Amino acid sequence: MIRLEKVSYSYPDGTPALENINLTIKKGEFVGVIGKNGSGKSTLALQLSGLLKPGTGRVVIRGMDTRDPSRLQGIRKFVGVVFQNPETQFVGRTVEEDLAFGPENLCLPPVEIRRCVDMALAETELEKYRHRSPKTLSGGQGQCAALAGILAMRPECLIFDEVASMLDPESGIAVLETIKKLHKKGKTIVYITHNLEELHDADRILVMEKGKIKIEGDPESVFSDVFLQDLGLPLPSLIELAANLKTHGVIIPWESTTSPQNFAEEICRLFLRT
Amino acid sequence: MPIILENVSFSYSRKTPLETPALREISLRIEKGEFVGILGEKGAGKSTLTKLFNGLLRPEAGTVRIDGLDPSSKEAKRRIGMVFQQAADQLFCRTVYEEIAFGLLNFGYSKREAEERIYEAIDSVCLDQAALSRDPFSLSGGEMQRVALASALALRPDYLVLDEPITGLDPAGKKEILDTLRKIKNMGTAVITVTHNLKGFFPLLERVVLIKEGRITFQGSRESYLEKGCVPLPPIASMMKELRERGIPVNPAAFTVEDALEEILRVKSAFEKGSSLTATEGN
Repeated sequence: MIRLEKVSYSYPDGTPALENINLTIKKGEFVGVIGKNGSGKSTLALQLSGLLKPGTGRVVIRGMDTRDPSRLQGIRKFVGVVFQNPETQFVGRTVEEDLAFGPENLCLPPVEIRRCVDMALAETELEKYRHRSPKTLSGGQGQCAALAGILAMRPECLIFDEVASMLDPESGIAVLETIKKLHKKGKTIVYITHNLEELHDADRILVMEKGKIKIEGDPESVFSDVFLQDLGLPLPSLIELAANLKTHGVIIPWESTTSPQNFAEEICRLFLRT
Repeated sequence: MPIILENVSFSYSRKTPLETPALREISLRIEKGEFVGILGEKGAGKSTLTKLFNGLLRPEAGTVRIDGLDPSSKEAKRRIGMVFQQAADQLFCRTVYEEIAFGLLNFGYSKREAEERIYEAIDSVCLDQAALSRDPFSLSGGEMQRVALASALALRPDYLVLDEPITGLDPAGKKEILDTLRKIKNMGTAVITVTHNLKGFFPLLERVVLIKEGRITFQGSRESYLEKGCVPLPPIASMMKELRERGIPVNPAAFTVEDALEEILRVKSAFEKGSSLTATEGN
């Protein structure tokens, strides 16, 4: 679906950002990307969406090479990116106008634009804010409005670049839940974060370091990789607790580390043995 | 003498059609050496509150006093160090050295004394001395945050006020800033931080102030904040609360991996011995 072949990229001042990346994102996957500041995560997002062209190598998005200018509109329809700060992404005076901007630029007929806007508002549960200025929304609502602006273009693949990092925990959880629902409906998701806790349910996790993919695998194998902590990326706290308990003979299965409730239930089961 | 706010209210664009109330009847006291977290959703009034501490905003009603001084007085401004969320917004000099020197020279310190304090400040935020000659805008986000922090610390403030100081930093960057803040607090400076990063800050916070729609809706210890459960808890705290609700007598104040491990092993050992169980504290 999206394929990176030997992709390298340096910024104009010479700073290398990506080095020889080979990667395939499959249809319907939820891929988590994690790494330190400056590891190349955001540059990867820009490559996956065709917003940056590779220095060497090539990026092919559903058969369309991102270096071919005639394919850019096709790529925009197919993949959308939501960034960290929603306020930098708003262009409309109202939420509704903002959502219409993308489909208008794709030259869709007015009836179709209306349908796209209504659908995006429904999927993000923002119907009641349609006439509000996007700048008056709370952090979580604002991030959902930015997401709705992308959804209105009906992309098959959505890329999220640290969308929860500026939100309070409650809003962050709500935005992530909305993203998980979209994944269940068949969207392909690439989710970039600093927070491993958010990637427990991912199909695959990529760990980046100095422009390269250092670790790749399902959450269970990535979280148990001994190199993870060498890269300065602490484990989710429940997984770290389970690993510590294991050294004391208390075995918590992987499935029980998915939520505090499941973890507590397993501890009760072990200790009470009822 | 502490920071004292008495019945403080503040509105933006006051007496205009765009008047927007931001804070209502806030009363708050912060002592030297405390570590206080100001929590709340976006738009709750957290950042507005911090701007009242150093006179950037003046209350429309009520009083703000810093050690008995008017917050817009020069001496009060020296006592309060401010670091904003977007460090780039408060940097403007050509080199990191000039940046940190700016406040010191404005307060009348000699070049020699300023230099001594600049080196001390740069050390305390774990920045390499080689960074002093660099352009602050060529630094990474985490490094810029540390330069902003060093500029505030160079004035040796009694109260350090921070607005989301670890947002956007990677885990290693967060840890460095948190370790620095712990050191600063241990040296007797009050640290007052606006944050929604409960997981990062919780082990450090001595007191939590929760603001909702411009009013303080909770004020107390982190333990009582956890018990109240008014916001999503960090996973460990949430799991420990769940254990207590299921009848396992663990200490509710355990919210780090180390604390939880110790508590669970204590309970396990007690179960194995078949002895009666009690929580270690806070029960």
